Amino acid sequence: MQNEILFAILELISIISSVVMISAHRPIDSALSFIVTLISIAALFALVNATFLFVVQIIIYAGAILSLILFIIMFLNIKDENLPDEKYKNRWLLGTSIIITPFSLILIDLILRSDIAVHALRDEKFGTIKDVGATLFSQWVLPFELVSILLLVALIGAVTLSKKEA
Amino acid sequence: MSTLTILLFAPLLSAFLIFLITVLYSQTKQYVYTFLALMGSGLSALLALYVSYYSYFEKQVLVTHLFTWLNIGDFLIEVTLKADALSSFMLLFVAPVSFLIHVYATGYMNNDKSYGRFFAYFNLFVFFMLLLVLADNPIVMFIGWEGVGLVSYALIGFYYEDVKNTYAGNKAFIVNRVGDFGFLSALMLLFLSIPLGGFSFDNIFLGLWLIDSHRLTLIAFLLFVGAMGKSAQIPLFVWLPDAMAGPTPVSALIHAATMVTAGVYMVARFAPLYNMTPDILLLIAYVGAFSALFAAIIATRQYDIKKILAYSTMSQLGFMFMALGVGAYSTALFHMFTHAFFKALLFMAAGAIIVAYHHKQDIRELRGIRASGLFILMLIATLTITAIPPFSAFFSKDAIMSALYAGHIEIFAIAFVTSLLTAFYMFRMLFVLFFSKSEQRGQPTRKSMLYPMTPLTVLCIFAGLLNVPEIFSGNLSVSHWLHLADQSFFVPHTQEMLLMSLNTFFTLAVIVYTYKKYAYTDAIEFEKSDGMIANKFYIDALYTKTVVTVLEKLSYFFDKKISQLLIDGTINSMALVYLKVGNLFARAENGNVRFYALYMLIGLVSGFVYLYWSLRSFL
Amino acid sequence: MLKGYMILSIILFSIGIVGLISRRNIIVMYMSIELLLNAVNLSLIAISADLADSSAQVMSLIIIAIAASEAALFMSLFVVLFRNRASLDVNLFTILGGKE
Repeated sequence: MQNEILFAILELISIISSVVMISAHRPIDSALSFIVTLISIAALFALVNATFLFVVQIIIYAGAILSLILFIIMFLNIKDENLPDEKYKNRWLLGTSIIITPFSLILIDLILRSDIAVHALRDEKFGTIKDVGATLFSQWVLPFELVSILLLVALIGAVTLSKKEA
Repeated sequence: MSTLTILLFAPLLSAFLIFLITVLYSQTKQYVYTFLALMGSGLSALLALYVSYYSYFEKQVLVTHLFTWLNIGDFLIEVTLKADALSSFMLLFVAPVSFLIHVYATGYMNNDKSYGRFFAYFNLFVFFMLLLVLADNPIVMFIGWEGVGLVSYALIGFYYEDVKNTYAGNKAFIVNRVGDFGFLSALMLLFLSIPLGGFSFDNIFLGLWLIDSHRLTLIAFLLFVGAMGKSAQIPLFVWLPDAMAGPTPVSALIHAATMVTAGVYMVARFAPLYNMTPDILLLIAYVGAFSALFAAIIATRQYDIKKILAYSTMSQLGFMFMALGVGAYSTALFHMFTHAFFKALLFMAAGAIIVAYHHKQDIRELRGIRASGLFILMLIATLTITAIPPFSAFFSKDAIMSALYAGHIEIFAIAFVTSLLTAFYMFRMLFVLFFSKSEQRGQPTRKSMLYPMTPLTVLCIFAGLLNVPEIFSGNLSVSHWLHLADQSFFVPHTQEMLLMSLNTFFTLAVIVYTYKKYAYTDAIEFEKSDGMIANKFYIDALYTKTVVTVLEKLSYFFDKKISQLLIDGTINSMALVYLKVGNLFARAENGNVRFYALYMLIGLVSGFVYLYWSLRSFL
Repeated sequence: MLKGYMILSIILFSIGIVGLISRRNIIVMYMSIELLLNAVNLSLIAISADLADSSAQVMSLIIIAIAASEAALFMSLFVVLFRNRASLDVNLFTILGGKE
């Protein structure tokens, strides 16, 4: 019961903050409300015992990525005149929402019709670093290695892109 | 290379060579054309004489298989040339007369600027005519049939600078289309009805008994419609008088001696079919009778020398159809045979007069010409056409008369009146031309025009001896040769003698009357050139009112309303819609990724909704 | 509660798409993409908890890694674009349309 209440609160927070994120005019407002979304999602992870992911979400997303965005926003010294003049922003948001509604409704309908249910099973070790790590290094070694290469490529790419053209 | 192949393709080859030379080198000397044209037609004339000799004496059928045209399942259409008795008989006069008229034309067309073109057409015509005659199946025959129609069209409008000639050519072509429609429909019906094997004449006649009698009647009728068009019978005759717009050799060859007889030939060819449909035979007889009478009446009020001859052609063709209609096929063909000679001779003489007297064709203007040679030729031809014994047409026409007398007495009466009218209008022309107080001198006739008339004159006089009836102790050799499915007639010899005498007596009386009326008088000047007869019973006007005007209005309607507004409009607006839609989509492709994502989203959502909607029953 | 997770995931995903398509600000678009990834992660974690299988958690771990590398690239992209155009408006970046 307690979990349900928590879930409802977190759900509300994440939805509201993400809506604010997409509709805020200035990127700094978006970024700040996005942090709220990310943290509430991390909390939702924790709610289903995914403790390791909870930590990772906080550290990488809220910690690294979002602070990088904020850093960039400030670094670029974006003024209001640099922002796009989004005259029809609200119309666009409304129109796209109307288009996407059937999609979401159908998916929700399908989810509600399906027979997946909540299991009471709660293994103590489940979701811990040890558990996830064991899975990662037994079953998922190759993707793990590939991700490392991906990160390397991204590193080089980022450097190449932002380098000033000679 | 068999005889028949050479016979058929010699004129085609020379036509093609003449065409090539005309196109490639315009300064060619005239004698080159003359040589080629005479070689082509002369070779086929010689071979035709040989083939008919062979057929007559050896009783053999020459067959040459050229190639297989269609071979569908067990259905076979072969292109085969076959010279049986009927074809050989046709060859006997078609090819030599063609040759003689070729010779004549070299004189007539002398120094014409389209000399080469003329002979290209002329040789092409001979080719198609021979193809028509030699064809072993109706489809190949139809090719020849259409071919002669086409060349006829080209030659009627030969002097195309004058738009009237072109109109005359168009008229001939279009009226013939009506007939061809009949012929073609008949062929299609036959094609559907003949169950097995090939489509040759022999096969068709073998399969005839299988065909339902109503359908057979329809086929016979449609075939006769084709004959009507080609042979200028009521109601499809209107093109023939106008066809005289072409040069005179054309009238002599195509519109007198050969092509117009194709209808008669075709009916005779289908004699076994027609023998099974007596109703249609009777119709043919009546159509022939009325055409003959009608044309004869019109001819009495014509002044154009060639038009008089044109109507007389139609009238003589009517005689042939009368004979066909009572089942006397070989008699009809024999009349066609003699007709070819005397009508060709008449046209040639008329052409010679026209050339000699500054291209005047009105007999009122040509009164009192003095040309003794032409007079003798013309007199012999006129005596022949009026069937005075012992000229050839006497035998042929008398045979028709006695067949009619034995068959249908009312048709006999019409034929009798018609033959008297024939005497009247032919001698009217002759007397007006040559017996007048006034006097005209023309240029002398060229030798090349005079010479070919001589053999024709001889033939006019003696050709009748080929088919002397029993009554003159003859043995009807041509009829026996042809061996067609003739119906037999019996007329007692005394009656036949009486008929002949009466016929000859009345004809002579009419000639005397005509002499009294027209020779050395101005009676021709007092004839009214208006009224029913001179205006051809208003048939042309009637056709114009009923058919041509309606068609013109319809065409106008289809042009302006259907074609331009409906079809063009639809197509144009469709094109416009595509243009608009294209512009719309072009604007959508603006290079902005956001929009692309939007389109993807729309597609995704539509697919989702569609899937959900169509799979909802499984949920 | 699993269905709740899934529905929340769908809602967040939809919001992400709306933001991605509607906004012209490239930084907001980037954050919308991150939101999409998070929505997917959320559903993965929920399913993992439901099936008691940590493979799904490994998958979301990898997704987070990918998001990190994506972040690095995007940041340098921002710098380049802003340097060239002095604007964050994606409507200015229409080289794909072939008009420039």
